[in-house]
Amino acid sequence: MTEQNRVSVQLQGLRKVYGDAVALENFSLDIAPGELVALLGPSGCGKTTALRILAGLDTDHSGQIIINGKDVAGTPANKRNMGMVFQAYSLFPTMSVLENVAYGLRVRKVDRAKRDARAQELLDLVGLGEMGKRLAHQLSGGQQQRVALARALAIQPNVLLLDEPLSALDAQVRTQLRDEIKRIQTEVGTTTLFVTHDQEEAMAIADRVGVMRHGVLEQCAPPQEVYLNPANVKVAKFVGAMNSLPAEVTSPTTLKIYGQSVNLRVGEGGAPTTKTGKALVRPEQLTLSHGDGSGPASATIINLTFLGPLTRISVRMTGDSSVLFISMPSALALDFPTGSTVNVEIRATSVLLDF
Amino acid sequence: MKRKLTPANYLALLAATSFFVFPLIAAFEFSLRVNLGKSHGFDNFRWVFQQEGFKTNLGVSFRLALLTAVAVLVLMVPTVVYLHLGGGRWKRMIEFICLVPLVVPVISFALGVGTAFPVFLQSTVYELSFLYVIVSLPYTYRALDVGLSSIPLLTLVEASRASGASMRQTLLFVIVPTIRSAVNGAVFLAIALSLGEFTLAVLLHWDTFPTWIANISQGHILNAIALSVLSLVGAWLVVVVMAIAPKSLRSNKTQEATS
Ligand SMILES: Nc1ncnc2c1ncn2[C@@H]1O[C@H](COP(=O)(O)OP(=O)(O)O)[C@@H](O)[C@H]1O
Ligand SMILES: [Mg+2]
Repeated sequence: MTEQNRVSVQLQGLRKVYGDAVALENFSLDIAPGELVALLGPSGCGKTTALRILAGLDTDHSGQIIINGKDVAGTPANKRNMGMVFQAYSLFPTMSVLENVAYGLRVRKVDRAKRDARAQELLDLVGLGEMGKRLAHQLSGGQQQRVALARALAIQPNVLLLDEPLSALDAQVRTQLRDEIKRIQTEVGTTTLFVTHDQEEAMAIADRVGVMRHGVLEQCAPPQEVYLNPANVKVAKFVGAMNSLPAEVTSPTTLKIYGQSVNLRVGEGGAPTTKTGKALVRPEQLTLSHGDGSGPASATIINLTFLGPLTRISVRMTGDSSVLFISMPSALALDFPTGSTVNVEIRATSVLLDF
Repeated sequence: MKRKLTPANYLALLAATSFFVFPLIAAFEFSLRVNLGKSHGFDNFRWVFQQEGFKTNLGVSFRLALLTAVAVLVLMVPTVVYLHLGGGRWKRMIEFICLVPLVVPVISFALGVGTAFPVFLQSTVYELSFLYVIVSLPYTYRALDVGLSSIPLLTLVEASRASGASMRQTLLFVIVPTIRSAVNGAVFLAIALSLGEFTLAVLLHWDTFPTWIANISQGHILNAIALSVLSLVGAWLVVVVMAIAPKSLRSNKTQEATS
């Protein structure tokens, strides 16, 4: 299947308010042709709002939407040529699966034979080639979302918009369909905006992840970068697990944490304005060695959680009684039974400071 | 889900049924009496068909019903959909307006109509169907409102819009088929009301089937009863046809491309 729509999207300074509540604030995002960007953020942070504005379903906002260099402000939803998959099941209940997929072509007055052939092609693509005659309620949730995806793609959309398409599905179907969406998106090469509140999902599927909080896009970068080099403290704390360790600023570029010197990374918040703060260190950036109970990094193992390949260890620092989480390969964790005395070492090239 | 009927259920059912059935049987028997009750035959029925105006007045009533049904479809369906989609501010008010015909006697409507209607309508019998749309509002609005409340309307509409459908296409292809039984219900109600309405027709001096029945049956008691038996059977036929028609239309449609 050859798809020729390679479309760029620029959202510029979007702002949307509901009464007193700001749902979207100065939201700017460029999506390159063929790219898959995931908007990640907790419920209520404005992800759906951004998506609906791009789709033209919400026109009462400020800011610009530019698709392939053209401002689409005056273009109504049904002329924007967007493929959309919704969180709620949205198949038309009186139409067969094939008719659902062919719907966008039907309203575009494509003749019957052509649109049915195209719909069948898409059903094959999403692995439901045999299900064309069924009605929506005769399909499982996962199958319904596949059909919705096929329906969205049938019109060769400029942009594919997916609003938490997997959140109503159970875990196994979710990962399976997630990988399949990625495969299909790569195959058809449609520029895609994927909304989710699930970090793993966003990381797994996206070329770039846009982290949102309270209507603001905090960072938009490849998944590795969002995880390893969060732009600011908010992103660092939201994405993945994070320990907050008491730290002292010893120079503009160094911190002292539990007696160890660690490089300070200055994020978007600028250089620290205080002498102390909380250093943000991931569980896998900490490691353990056997200790004698003395020294500033001394700690006691209080719990081990076996997670398959990795084990999550919680320790209580001897000095300030704070609890830290450490994640290490399960084979190594065998050395550290509950109750044993250890030293905590920080293995991070640089860390952010929350001050 | 099938439930077993207990003897008590049967008894209640029987009592309720006989409440309707006995008068009907009696009426039917009565309408068959000829020669002052000495024998039975279809003379009384034949008399009805021979009366002047039978066909024309029946025709007028059917045309009124058709027009009312079309008006309900064209006016009410989009309006109630609009209200459900964010005409939220108006919902309360319109709901109230739709209930008004229940509390305002039709007589007061009738008086206003003579002056308030546009001139081109005043002189035609079809002004009645506009009134029937209004009088049936409480029922048609309720039927459509309930139907729309039972489906995820906003999601369906947005899915349709995003697929490239205009609002008209969305209504025709997605919404109406999805709430078809509610739409049928609203149309049934409108048709039933227009076929049987008497007060407004009389007050506005139009001859419809009900007014014609009232006129000719004065002084002909046996014929009048024959007539009501006929109307009953006729009404049943109309309902049956209407219940079957949409189904066969739909199955045709799925066969030949839903276009
Ligand atoms: N129709 C609406 N009326 C009022 N507030 C709304 C409406 N839709 C969304 N909001 C508010 O806007 C904010 C963002 O909503 P939304 O974009 O749906 O968040 P998300 O999809 O990230 O969960 C939320 O605080 C929500 O309460
Ligand atoms: Mg949402």
